[in-house]
Amino acid sequence: MARYVIRRLLQAIPTLVGVSVIAFSLVYNSPGDPILIRTFDPNITQESREILRRQLGLDQHWALQYISWVTGITLRSGEVAEEFNRGDTSCTYLSWLNTTFCDNSGGILRGNLGTSIATNQPVWDRIVERMPATLQLGVTTLLVSLLVGVPLGVLSAVRQRSVFDASVRVLAVVGNALPSFWLGLMLILLFGVVLGWLPTGSMRTVSLTNEFDLVDRIRHLVLPTFVLAVGGIAILSRFMRTETLEVIRTDYIRMARAKGVAARRVWFVHALGNALIPLMTTLGPAIFGILSGAVIVETIFSWPGMGRMTFSAAVQRDYPTVLGAVMFFSLLTILGNLLSDILYGVVDPRVRLS
Amino acid sequence: MKNRRLSVLAALLIAAMVLAACPQPTPVVETVKETVVVTQVVTQTEEVVVTPTPVPPVQGGVWVEGSSADATILNPILASDSASFDVLGWFFPSLLGQDPFSGAIVPTEMAASWDVSEDGLVWTFHLQDGVMWSDGEQVNADDFKFTYDAIGSDLVETPRKANLDNIESIEVLDPLTIQVTYAEVKCDALNNLGLGWLPSHLYAEDFSDVMDSPLNEEPTVSAGPFIFNEWTRDDNSTVLRNDGYWKGAPNMDGWIYKIVPDPGARLAQLQTGELDLIGVQPEQLTTVQLDANLNLHKFKDDGYSYIGLNQANPANPQAGQDEDGNLVEQDPHPILSDLAVRQAIAHALDYDAIISKVYLGQGFQIASNVLPAVGWAHDPSLQPYAFDTELASQILDDAGWTDSDEDGVRECNGCATAEEGATLTIRLQTNAGNTTREDLGALVQDQLNGIGFDIQFEAIEFGTLVGELLGQTFDMVIIGWTGLGTDPNDDSFWHSKFDTPGSGFNFVSYQNPRIDELLEQAVSVPGCATEERATFYHEIQQIINNDIPYVFVTGSVGNTGYSKKFNGTNPGPWSFYHNVETWSLAQ
Repeated sequence: MARYVIRRLLQAIPTLVGVSVIAFSLVYNSPGDPILIRTFDPNITQESREILRRQLGLDQHWALQYISWVTGITLRSGEVAEEFNRGDTSCTYLSWLNTTFCDNSGGILRGNLGTSIATNQPVWDRIVERMPATLQLGVTTLLVSLLVGVPLGVLSAVRQRSVFDASVRVLAVVGNALPSFWLGLMLILLFGVVLGWLPTGSMRTVSLTNEFDLVDRIRHLVLPTFVLAVGGIAILSRFMRTETLEVIRTDYIRMARAKGVAARRVWFVHALGNALIPLMTTLGPAIFGILSGAVIVETIFSWPGMGRMTFSAAVQRDYPTVLGAVMFFSLLTILGNLLSDILYGVVDPRVRLS
Repeated sequence: MKNRRLSVLAALLIAAMVLAACPQPTPVVETVKETVVVTQVVTQTEEVVVTPTPVPPVQGGVWVEGSSADATILNPILASDSASFDVLGWFFPSLLGQDPFSGAIVPTEMAASWDVSEDGLVWTFHLQDGVMWSDGEQVNADDFKFTYDAIGSDLVETPRKANLDNIESIEVLDPLTIQVTYAEVKCDALNNLGLGWLPSHLYAEDFSDVMDSPLNEEPTVSAGPFIFNEWTRDDNSTVLRNDGYWKGAPNMDGWIYKIVPDPGARLAQLQTGELDLIGVQPEQLTTVQLDANLNLHKFKDDGYSYIGLNQANPANPQAGQDEDGNLVEQDPHPILSDLAVRQAIAHALDYDAIISKVYLGQGFQIASNVLPAVGWAHDPSLQPYAFDTELASQILDDAGWTDSDEDGVRECNGCATAEEGATLTIRLQTNAGNTTREDLGALVQDQLNGIGFDIQFEAIEFGTLVGELLGQTFDMVIIGWTGLGTDPNDDSFWHSKFDTPGSGFNFVSYQNPRIDELLEQAVSVPGCATEERATFYHEIQQIINNDIPYVFVTGSVGNTGYSKKFNGTNPGPWSFYHNVETWSLAQ
């Protein structure tokens, strides 16, 4: 088991290196110059533009920038140590190479995701700042999807070909097909504007004191959670319906019935338990889904989460933030998949990890 | 009608304030509103002002502004985005005030008055006495000097370095007197002195902590109407009433800046009362107008949309001046350097249809480069180009651009600038993703092709477009200027010294020695009296209108929707909140 985990973790290293190279080259070679986008203003001189570009290292070849991003070491030809020596950066000039080496004590290898071009904050701080909002929304959504989707799927299988089954299946298709931006705006219009029952956005009622108010928080969670969960409920109910139908055709269920076990017990103890096992495989990817899938919903409901941050950073060409978020998501995806594989082995003794 | 009422209200309000000459005009505002309702003549206001109702304004209430973007840094010399200024504008005193209606510089902020030396180079500012930072220190000349010295410091990276251009020295004569000496007279330079002042007593003298001071995130001291309270990035900022504000403490408890990225959600929140103010998109106007709880503030903004016509050959971009400042003759654009072609384009566009269909009515045709928002410099007598396709065709025929092979596209048959037989084929570009400009491009293409042009329109990514623009490798471009500000000086668009491929903003390579001369004269009037400067700007507008380096499509119109929850709001085009300390909750 331990060996399996270690091997999987070692395998993750080349994956992460690959992700970093691909993401970096894609982001840096995409059209649009972060400096020009920020300084398309007649009051800003070309010199200040160039100084800014040089300070951010954006004048260099992308491969050199990649090295700097990964290791925190910047290479520049010529003796420019003084120009770049400042608080957290130390530079040394090697005359035989005619190159200046600057070490900004950063780089992702040292766990430093760099500094945002847009807000000048460390990228890691930005991610940490947004995490609670995204987690709050994501965990609630996951719970709601599970608590609603799983029973719906099982009941649907129990009452196969009934009116209930048909309506659940229709709703699942509709729920899957509804674009979340449309559903979100419609719900805001209905429950927020017309009926006035629920707030139309953000995590809480913003006030001058900003005291914690649980009821207020929950009221703000209802609409975005519902919109996000609709897709999950649809997928889970269909998944559980199929799995349950498969399990009840197996011999041990027939055996249990033949022994005269009560129908309720057959369905919800014997059948459900085994039908739930494949669900474990969906949990790993679900963690990634929680963290990344909420871009649109976070935008519509003014939810200050990670998805929205990454999206707006991409629009602003805030390279360090985009890359930081990509690396963070990649790591989480790898860990999520690993976790679900391990859990699979735990709940199903037939599966051996080696 | 609504506009007229507003302006009547504005005029009466100003009249009443002058008459009252009283630093606390709160009760006046209430009574003036009544006079508007009965639409009485001004003589009435005098009586009303003498008997102000003694009822004190209602205290309390919070105003919530909705915004698409969050502030990035709350330091007046490091910030460069408007969202940051929306928030930090409450805290930092500035030297010069701005008339909310005309945009003119007025002594309503720290400078209570100023003298100018005869040669116009030395400006002496006398500061308002008794203005306090909220921690008890007095705001004085040292704060001003510190702020501007910080901008000049090598330790401070800021896009504001250009604010120091042309300033020879800044001296503190005494704590309440500042002397600024310029190297040469440059009238628009006064605007460069308008940045917010840092509280110098909280920073290191050598500027070493300006870049990473915690005050950049939490500017705890204030000398404005509100004091910083809390900032949750990407969510909201809150500020609280400053009881020590020198113009009088606001009646409201505080102000909130709330980030709501989706425009539809912003409108919904304005309707439910979760927000009190949003910028309204053209397609949302009807909803706001029909809502009895909302007001709409419509104003002519300081921006315009235009089609830039490159006068130089895009295959051979050249600088407009050599190193000694002599004009460099440009390799002319084969088609667009022909004035007749530019005139034909200007006459061929159906501006009314463009403004109503593309801009949904939120625009107005303009004749030249100075906008009506800068009232003193704008020349209202200048006529915009009229839509007249027959005239446009006639001009092209006369200039030797005719369709001899009858394929629908004109060719050069004795034209002035192109080779014989060359077709009237021109590229037109704009930035992809801006649907208004994409729609405009399609319409322009359609209308110009209708009179024998062959317009090849493409929408490209903004960053790429900016590269082509500054690199001067385009033919025609649809783009716009926003935030032009209160000074009419826009020499960076027209002066030949700003025709520098790769960086300059005279990217249409416009060259006219008379314009260069006028632009220089207009900013070097000693004393900078607006009446004297206006004559230069009137001539500039006339020449730009004749030469057509840009085809001016429409002036920008701003729309602000806001709640009726407070009495006393009186928005002007240059400021919504200029009298915020007098607002009070409606009953």
